[in-house]
Amino acid sequence: MSPPATRSAFKIQRDVIYALLLRELSSRFGKSRGGFIWVLVEPIAHVLVPMAIFGYIRNRMVPGVEFPVFLVYGILPFLLFKAICLQIVNGVNSSQGLLSYRQVHLLDVFVAKAMAYAVIQAVVFALVLTGLALFGFDVLPGRPVEFAGVLALTVILAFGVGLVLAALASLIPDARSIITVMFMPLYFVSGVLFPTSRFPDEVVRWMAVNPVLHLVELSRVTAVHGFEPMKYLSLNYVLVLVLVTTIIGLMLYRLRYLTRVTP
Amino acid sequence: MIRLEDVTKSYMTLNGRYVVFRNLSLDVPEGVNVGLIGRNGAGKSTLMRLVSAVDLPDSGRIVTKGRLSWPVGLKGGMQKNLTGRDNVKFVCRIQGVRRSGMQEKIDYVREFADIGDHFDKPVSTYSSGMQARLAFGTSMAFDFDYYLIDEVMAVGDAEFKSKSRKVFRERMQNSKIVLVSHNMKLIRRMCDMVVLLDQGRAKTYKNVDKGIAAYKRAGGEP
Repeated sequence: MSPPATRSAFKIQRDVIYALLLRELSSRFGKSRGGFIWVLVEPIAHVLVPMAIFGYIRNRMVPGVEFPVFLVYGILPFLLFKAICLQIVNGVNSSQGLLSYRQVHLLDVFVAKAMAYAVIQAVVFALVLTGLALFGFDVLPGRPVEFAGVLALTVILAFGVGLVLAALASLIPDARSIITVMFMPLYFVSGVLFPTSRFPDEVVRWMAVNPVLHLVELSRVTAVHGFEPMKYLSLNYVLVLVLVTTIIGLMLYRLRYLTRVTP
Repeated sequence: MIRLEDVTKSYMTLNGRYVVFRNLSLDVPEGVNVGLIGRNGAGKSTLMRLVSAVDLPDSGRIVTKGRLSWPVGLKGGMQKNLTGRDNVKFVCRIQGVRRSGMQEKIDYVREFADIGDHFDKPVSTYSSGMQARLAFGTSMAFDFDYYLIDEVMAVGDAEFKSKSRKVFRERMQNSKIVLVSHNMKLIRRMCDMVVLLDQGRAKTYKNVDKGIAAYKRAGGEP
């Protein structure tokens, strides 16, 4: 029954994030297989359904690029972004029980959730890509290091945006459900399904405000051989937004704007 | 030692700001078992959360010395979708207990809680008594200078009550307790002083019986 020795702040936080990460993974996969099946079904459906619908024109859809490969590398950053954002927005309320331990801070919970999701999505997409490779598609990312960098940017942007949205959800009672619904239209303006080359230039110029579109295109530029991005594609724009949202998000967190909405 | 200096705490609700305490000051000297009493909604659990640093005050200072447990209560703390065992593991990990130490704690809690096979079932399937056993057992597995106990000792059957009291008495040789309870018999038996919370103010009674009498005058149940 010896007490644990005094730990440094860094070590405490490391222990806490590790514990939360294991908890996140075990509560998702631990006792039921259903959890993992749903995690797999969602991205697979995102690839199969558009293929079934647009299959007959798939070779004309994106010139020089195979449609399933195009889809996979678009849906990956989008789902990653969506999942982490929503985990953080909903995490404020669902994590209250965890916060009864003084070592556990809300931000640790968010970091663990983001890490867990990144790991899960990586595994799922490795499986999906393997499946496509079995059908003879050329799936390996062309520039793997840069591609990994794009995914890392996606995770950080989702984290920053998630914090800002969580603060909004704490301030405005109904914001949470609106935020959840907003991801549907976001899907259609993020270029997941259609290449931007199919839209007129004036429309694309406006669509380029959306950073997720940039991430989707960057993912394809670095991974898909022969993909032509939109002319408005800008890594700097994404970097600036990552920085701005993360700083604002952390400030809101620090000022304790992220609170449980008391019913 | 637990000291609150000029502490104000409020919560934002949809109906506006609700102030629990305004300029509350309180001093608990070292080596004293404290009973925290007051009517429902007087702020007992809020005070526990503040003392254990789970929640922060709007203003004012809270000074504590020694290792304080988390608030061991009926609600919160335990994660419903995880099993009893995984909950104990989680607490071990955040407390920095690994490997053999962790197994030792798990064995201790399983024996103390005495809930049989339910230990490996999700907490969501537990009765409230079983949850209290698990929560109380988990806190007893760790050494603290202060145990912050919110009602859990008053639940469970007679056998569990007597067992937890026995373990607690051993523990109280070296550790102290902050006990929230509506059970005045328990307060009388365990505590050396009481703090009565009433309408956002705290009153300290060195004499437990006087404190309980004041609580009854304030409208508390006997």
